[in-house]
Amino acid sequence: MTTRTPLAARATLRLTLVLALAVTLLSLGAMALQYRLVAARLMEGARSTLTADLGGFAALYEQRRIIALRQAIEYRAAAGTGDEMLLLLDRHGMVLAGTEDHWPEGLRTEGAGFTVEPAREFDRNGTRWLAVARELPGGFPLLVARNLAPTNATLASLRRGMAGLATALVLAGGLVGWLAARSVMGRIGRVNDLADRVAAGDLSARLPGPRSRDEFGLLETHVHAMLDRIENLNRATHRLSDTIAHELRTPLNRLMQKLSRITGQEEIVEDLRAEMRQSIRVFDSLLDISRAEADQGIGGGLVPVDLSAVAADVWELYEPLAEDKGLRPEAAITPGLHVLGDRNLIAQMLSNLIDNAIKYCGPGDTLRLTLSEGPDRHLMQVADTGPGLPEELRTDAFERFTRAERDRGIQGHGLGLALVRAIAARHGAKLDLPRSEKGFVLDIAWPKLAS
Amino acid sequence: MDHILIVEDDIETAEAVAHEVTALGCAPVLCTTLDQGVAEAAAGDYRVIVLDRMLPGGDGVEAMARIRAGGSRAMILVLSALGRAAQRVEGLEKGADDYLPKPFEPEELRARLRALLRRATIDGLDNDLVAFGDLEIRLKARTLHVRRQHVAISPKEFDLITYFARNAGQVVTRMQLLENVWKLHFDPGTNVVDVHVGRLRRKLEEAGANAIQTARGEGYIFAPLRADQRTD
Repeated sequence: MTTRTPLAARATLRLTLVLALAVTLLSLGAMALQYRLVAARLMEGARSTLTADLGGFAALYEQRRIIALRQAIEYRAAAGTGDEMLLLLDRHGMVLAGTEDHWPEGLRTEGAGFTVEPAREFDRNGTRWLAVARELPGGFPLLVARNLAPTNATLASLRRGMAGLATALVLAGGLVGWLAARSVMGRIGRVNDLADRVAAGDLSARLPGPRSRDEFGLLETHVHAMLDRIENLNRATHRLSDTIAHELRTPLNRLMQKLSRITGQEEIVEDLRAEMRQSIRVFDSLLDISRAEADQGIGGGLVPVDLSAVAADVWELYEPLAEDKGLRPEAAITPGLHVLGDRNLIAQMLSNLIDNAIKYCGPGDTLRLTLSEGPDRHLMQVADTGPGLPEELRTDAFERFTRAERDRGIQGHGLGLALVRAIAARHGAKLDLPRSEKGFVLDIAWPKLAS
Repeated sequence: MDHILIVEDDIETAEAVAHEVTALGCAPVLCTTLDQGVAEAAAGDYRVIVLDRMLPGGDGVEAMARIRAGGSRAMILVLSALGRAAQRVEGLEKGADDYLPKPFEPEELRARLRALLRRATIDGLDNDLVAFGDLEIRLKARTLHVRRQHVAISPKEFDLITYFARNAGQVVTRMQLLENVWKLHFDPGTNVVDVHVGRLRRKLEEAGANAIQTARGEGYIFAPLRADQRTD
């Protein structure tokens, strides 16, 4: 039996991670849009405040020009909120009034009106300001600016919130993916374990407990339905072959009993008995073939068998027969090679092969049985120097009732090799018909018994 | 008189079995259902039970445990239409003493019943040395001697002669030899066994013991020097 390493539910994990990533990206996109709206809104607020200030100054300038403007700025600077920056210079660059003692570096005056456009952003001591710098008629530079720090602080906290939320989403996605993979693996694992048990020969294995009303429950229900069907078919096959056996052998038995009451015609009676034995053999072979084919791949019923000992036993049984027929029998069997199998079936298979070889070979031919240990399988070979397989028979030599035209005179029913193939398949052994110069050669590679 | 219980639902088969039982000098008792058979096995004192498998009431092989539990010490011969190799092995593994598939030849059944009756009295050969006149089998050393001369035989031929010795004086069939000496439960179709018996017989004859005779159409009889034994 193979031990299955637990599979990670990679497909499920991948799917949930892709979903989590998509959700995270969409949320981030939505948040970015919102961020931009908020940023634009805050900037507009700063600009409208600035517009209002400028409107006030424009009205004063209308009345009494620079004097009124200077008074208003002095008054406002004295109040000193820190949120605004005001500065009015004279035509020589001297400060007339303002919150600053000199004109900020790098800031140039643009235009002469009191409109808010064009406004400039600039840095001063690490703080950002939105500034309107004008040169009033007569060469009086005027600076009106609003502190942007509150706006920036709001945006920064908004950014921090977004980063936190994105991290949380990624973590949640990963966690959900892992949990989903684990739960799917658990459900699928149950079905896989069931399949393993069935493959090991327990056709009646089922999952305990009620089915859940979801796709997994449906899968389990389907698997159960399939197993029920296989089990029923298997049982029906066994019952049918038993019934056929009973219905055929019982009347044959009556015939046999009546035959024994016939006296004085011993030869005919013996012929009839031989015919009956032959029919039973054909019939049993067919049932054995279908049974071995039905049980193929099911490990149940097989036990550790000393393959070398079985091979030696069967060889020992047939060797004198081969010698008596003038064949040269040779065997090279490595002792102690074991397989998981059915001793009687293996013996039957070898008996079929060796019996065939003896039947088809003539005096002087060599018959050889070898068994050796290969790198991953036990290698068995039955080889003779007889007539071999006719070319046209090579492809379907292992089919039922396949016989060569030239062998019509030799007793047989064409089931021997079909049974050999069925028994090999039952044991997971591989058959190969290598080409040889002369005679029939069959290689059988047996799976080793895991120690 | 020994009693033999026949559990069989096919009347014609049952009669044929009863005929063989009578021919062996035993008294047959017939049951046609499994439950009846199990009850009768417990009630009567039987040497051998001939048990069918597909019976009204169930499978005879499955009922063997019940028969044993009922206190019967009879030898059980399963006689069934379920005669494939796997089914024979199954029956023997579940406790049958012998398993004969249908259709059976009357001689085969007789040989097997006789072997079972004999086994029921003396089970196997207990002594180290088994002697039939000039012929001596040493079980521990696994050697054969005729007229104090060692006869070289193969291990399988030794198994063969010990099986013959165990059933000395009675017909042993080819099928019995294949099952008991080679432990093979299928019909190989060819008379492979004959070649082995022929070789053993020649070796014995060369050493001067004419011990194995052919019973025509039935099998072989191991009857070594019976006349000599009586006169000794």
